[in-house]
Amino acid sequence: MFPFKSRQPQMLDSMYSMIALVFILVACVELCDAATVVDVYRLIQYDISGVPFGSRLATLNHHAGSLHFTPGADLSRTVVIIPIRELNITFVKEYITQRKPLGGLLFLLPQIFDFEDRGATVSEDQVHEKGLMKTVLAELEKLLIHANIPYPVYFAFENDDIDTVLSDIKRNDATGQPATATTGGYKFVVSAPEPKRIASPTITNIQGWLPGLKADGDPNQLPTIAIVVSYDTFGTAPALSVGTDSNGSGVVALLEIARLFSLLYSNPKTRGRYNLLFGLTSGGPYNYNGTQKWLRSFDQRLRESIDYAICLNSIGSWDNELWIHVSKPPENAYIKQIFEGFSNVAKELGLEIGLKHKKINISNPRVAWEHEQFSRLRITAATLSELSVAPDILESTGGLSDNRYFVNETAIVRSIKLVAESIARHIYSHQGENIKVFADDSSLAVNPSYVKSWLDLLSQTPRVAPFLSKNDPFVMALKKELEDHAHEVNVQHEALDGMFTFYDSTKAKLNIYQVASVTFDLLLLLVLGSYLIVLFSFLVITTRGLDDLISLFRRPTSRKVKTA
Amino acid sequence: MTLFHFFNCAILTFGPHAVYYSATPLSEYDTLGTSIKAALVYLGTALVKLVCLATFLKVSENDSFDPYQELLKALIGFIDVAGLYFALTQLTHRNISQNHKFQAVGLGWAFADSVLHRLAPLWVGARGLEFTWDYILQGLEANANLVLSISLAALGSLMWLRKNKPKTLIPIIYACAGIVATMPSITSYLRRGLGWHLPKVVGFELFTSLMMAFISWQLFSACQRPSS
Repeated sequence: MFPFKSRQPQMLDSMYSMIALVFILVACVELCDAATVVDVYRLIQYDISGVPFGSRLATLNHHAGSLHFTPGADLSRTVVIIPIRELNITFVKEYITQRKPLGGLLFLLPQIFDFEDRGATVSEDQVHEKGLMKTVLAELEKLLIHANIPYPVYFAFENDDIDTVLSDIKRNDATGQPATATTGGYKFVVSAPEPKRIASPTITNIQGWLPGLKADGDPNQLPTIAIVVSYDTFGTAPALSVGTDSNGSGVVALLEIARLFSLLYSNPKTRGRYNLLFGLTSGGPYNYNGTQKWLRSFDQRLRESIDYAICLNSIGSWDNELWIHVSKPPENAYIKQIFEGFSNVAKELGLEIGLKHKKINISNPRVAWEHEQFSRLRITAATLSELSVAPDILESTGGLSDNRYFVNETAIVRSIKLVAESIARHIYSHQGENIKVFADDSSLAVNPSYVKSWLDLLSQTPRVAPFLSKNDPFVMALKKELEDHAHEVNVQHEALDGMFTFYDSTKAKLNIYQVASVTFDLLLLLVLGSYLIVLFSFLVITTRGLDDLISLFRRPTSRKVKTA
Repeated sequence: MTLFHFFNCAILTFGPHAVYYSATPLSEYDTLGTSIKAALVYLGTALVKLVCLATFLKVSENDSFDPYQELLKALIGFIDVAGLYFALTQLTHRNISQNHKFQAVGLGWAFADSVLHRLAPLWVGARGLEFTWDYILQGLEANANLVLSISLAALGSLMWLRKNKPKTLIPIIYACAGIVATMPSITSYLRRGLGWHLPKVVGFELFTSLMMAFISWQLFSACQRPSS
């Protein structure tokens, strides 16, 4: 006993540390065994000149609710899960514009929109259904991008697990029942790190140069024709912004045109007397920032030698009509020449082409079309597009609905034919003559499988510029492809205009837990307590007799009697 | 709240052992030492069983019922009986009556079983956010196991410690002991061979444990009458 006592303070110390350790261990709740884990994609978070937009939070830890909640219920600690099929845009608009408190939003996109799901086959009515959803999605995207939302907003794709969860939630909300263990209360947990500012995002411009045939003894610089396309996108969910039409179609067209002209120019006998400059620019959604920096890097001689530049923007989902947008007035001789050349080829191909003129306002920083950057430096340029009206800022830059299924590769092939043929006729001075340079069934025919394979790749690659690193594999792939066709390829890295700031954390995993309510736990405790008491009484009665049980309760009173 | 659930399941799984100890005269006669020794014997038995299972059993890919494997598992399960025999007869107990000896040994045996088989899953699983009924069912199973262990210890003490038994009852005693000893195989057959779900299996276990407890109580009191 004696040595035991002297060791007691030491033992107490070690006991306290043991207890502390036990408390620490006990406090870390296991979060890994969820019923369902779903990939979710966050709404974009960005600032324009310090003004915040988009969803400002990433972590989520709230109960789930559906649209069938009782009106007037407090949703500040609820994540509302909304399938796009049943989207009620007025509800969303109300909550966002009136800044009503909400725990979070989860939008469920139909499975077909998932570009990573290669196994999905598309039926006719599914495509029609998607067409209807396109307008709904576009409106939702516009609302979300231009709002400042203080809670997390996520997008996910429908699948069986989440559908069962949603139907459970709807059933509970319909009956107005609070969540219990058996009727299924769900908790949504996303443990994502706090979104950090992306420091100095880079934009990468790639240019390819195909030199023309210079006659011996001719000191003058050959004229140049430029074909420019911006390849990056901007959308509601940056991890899903593949922008197949805006502007994947343009990128594919540029690569195919480069391939065709490199074939033509490989033989000195067929090399034209024009240089060709191919430009893949970044920073398109941000007032064509990349194009501006690229042009500024040109030296004076090159700038003066450019005859005209053709920019391609969204040429993948049109039927019969394309538009040429210009900044110089249509009466201008150069513009007339370009337009006539295009019209002639268009007539032969059986499609219509219109001319749209939009004046540029130098004081306004907004650049709606890529050719405007050229026009500001007094280079003749035009944009070929299926859009008839200039898009607003951050519109038509590759959103959620800009999907592979809405893009028609035959439309792209026809656009390639139009552009390539028009440029070829200009180079070889065959204006108005009935000669086809890139005729079908010739070795210079447009290759539809090349177009298709690049289009498929582009429709699976999200390309939001701040999230593309300097050595992004896709950018390197574009560079490599252009090197195959052009004689000289240069890559230019620039910093994105300081007006735009972006935040990371675009993809996360959502854990869905089925939780029991507090009342259930308390009830269980009550039941167990009474069970143990009953067991105790039963055992005392059977082994020691009823008197012993009664004596257990009588002891305090007998003691009182004794002391009194 | 998840810690709350862990606490609930823990008192369901381990509470009855403590209640049994304090409610019955075991606490008055201070038989804690016996229970602890029985728990240690169970530990040893479990290790031996583990080694035998690892050596002789094949790992099956699917969860179906293989009669040969189950027979082997049942044979290895009899090591349990051997361990109980060792705990009842070979360990030195302070002079406590047979009545209390088997109870203490059974209690220690069941407590060790619960701790070894149920504490770790409870700790890891019940603290998570996700709610399942599994841990409550596991607690009920622990209760059934306590009753079964005490009945088996009673029958064991009848078989090996009591010398003068009525002749007619001996085969019944051995039969009941056999049933209780092979209870694990029976439950695994129900789960895999017949495909019963956990709640049904636990209900069956509770029912049979109560039945077996009643039968062994009757047998024990019947054997006790001639000596008293």
